[in-house]
Amino acid sequence: MIFVTIGLAAGTMLVMALVFSYILGWANTAFHVETDPRIDAVMDALPGANCGGCGFIGCGEYAEAVVGGNAQVNKCPVGGESCAASLAQIMGVELGAALPYRPIVHCGAHYEDRLGRTEYHGEQRCGAANIVADVQGCTYGCLGFGDCVSACNYDAIHVVDGLATVDYEKCVGCGACAKVCPRNIITITPFKAERVLAVTCSNKDKGKDITKVCTVGCIGCGACARASDLFTIKDNLSTIDYDAYDPSCGADVMKACEKCPRKRIVFVGKSDSDDVAEFSGDVVEPDFKTTVDDTEWRG
Amino acid sequence: MNYLIDIMLIAVSAALINNFVLYYFVGICPFIGVSRQIDMAVGMGLAVTFVISIAAFLSWTMTTMVLIPAAPLTAWIGGFFMSPEAAAKIDLTILSYIVYIFAISASVQFVEMYVRRFFPALYKSFGVFLPLITTNCAILFACLTIMSNVSGVDNPADAWDLGRSLTLAFFGGIGFTIAIVIMAGIREELDFCDIPPALRGAAITLIVAGILSMAFMGFTGVDTGLKNALKSDSAAQIDPKPIPKDESPLTSVIIGETDKKEWS
Repeated sequence: MIFVTIGLAAGTMLVMALVFSYILGWANTAFHVETDPRIDAVMDALPGANCGGCGFIGCGEYAEAVVGGNAQVNKCPVGGESCAASLAQIMGVELGAALPYRPIVHCGAHYEDRLGRTEYHGEQRCGAANIVADVQGCTYGCLGFGDCVSACNYDAIHVVDGLATVDYEKCVGCGACAKVCPRNIITITPFKAERVLAVTCSNKDKGKDITKVCTVGCIGCGACARASDLFTIKDNLSTIDYDAYDPSCGADVMKACEKCPRKRIVFVGKSDSDDVAEFSGDVVEPDFKTTVDDTEWRG
Repeated sequence: MNYLIDIMLIAVSAALINNFVLYYFVGICPFIGVSRQIDMAVGMGLAVTFVISIAAFLSWTMTTMVLIPAAPLTAWIGGFFMSPEAAAKIDLTILSYIVYIFAISASVQFVEMYVRRFFPALYKSFGVFLPLITTNCAILFACLTIMSNVSGVDNPADAWDLGRSLTLAFFGGIGFTIAIVIMAGIREELDFCDIPPALRGAAITLIVAGILSMAFMGFTGVDTGLKNALKSDSAAQIDPKPIPKDESPLTSVIIGETDKKEWS
């Protein structure tokens, strides 16, 4: 009796194993899906951070898109140039000049520059403060509660005296800060050099209104656009054409920077780069050691 | 008629009253892990519903045909080695766990291959979740519940048939979907809340899950009440004897009193 039971139990498991392995083995060939071996190679070459900085859901999606020819090999912001080079080798394509993408905070106003700020005791998050009227006069500028700080996985953005400031030494350009900003003042921009010019203002109101809410905001006077073709005034706001942007910055561009009455056209990027020396304008150079403001804004 | 009532009771009970997640606390890890966004929660819920139905079919078949005493297949093979009476006593239910896990993982693997080949779009949305389901204890729980209702009953006539088993599994999966989607909705709203730093992340999620579970406790006893109401409906027309008082006191009082007034 007992031996028959043991035999039946063993036999049951054996038969199940045989049946399932046969079915699965058959299914494996019958339902075989041709996958490109390069997809696995690309997956191995990618950093696997799944940050979504390339514009795809994760590294797997991006690998498929690369092999399928739907994406460039240099889109991975975390892997950078070395990753792009190995991907290009796998795919057998020539690697063009890979532009790193980095965020630019299009606001230059610290607390003392902002006018019309009122006491706000609500939830200390930009997303919440943004839907409350009159937290600060400027309805376009940085709120300074640091939603971007908590979104960043690389400790590369901090609120410095009320203004979100990117630490380009640490930044990998994944774009998490730009996604989370409720006022959409962070743009992910191709950096053609370690430091690039940026218009650090987002206010689209008329100049007269801007002077009421901010002491540094772009008033759309058009001085930069008259000095250089690089700048255009759109919605009362100066914008830079980054496709035409030349990192060497000709004399006309420098003149535009100097002409700006609010000194809103500034270089952003790694603080130890070269092109600053020729430029005497306002350079954003936060000192993280002394001015990191982790306390919450008290209104 | 009784069969239909039974099916309805099992369905309502599995989906709402004895919800797998919020009453039995099985399947917690996908419930916490994949409830960040509503669309992902829906995907996970549907994948679980799909796999749980297949696993229930397999486990019911295995249980009835092989595992329980006097199962046809076991008794037939055992009959070659011993007397039919002794063969009918062979009990292989000790194998239930390993057989169910085996069946679940094999069916998940098969489903994954099948879906990948014929429904690439579905595979893209399910793809991440299907391997996770292999280790989802809600599915093993459904299989074990079916087993206990097939082999653990005193009267062989009360043993569940395939229809009841599939109803339990399918509506259990629906209940899981309901729970995880509600949770995902709450968690999406939680993103806008000012949560004390110590409670952020998993802590507040578990607290919310506990409150949600307490909310679903409001359904407790509705199944016995429903059973009394439905069964006494047909019974009262023949023999209006009082409702047995051995059920949960609250529900039997409420539903029992109204019934008595109506039918006596």
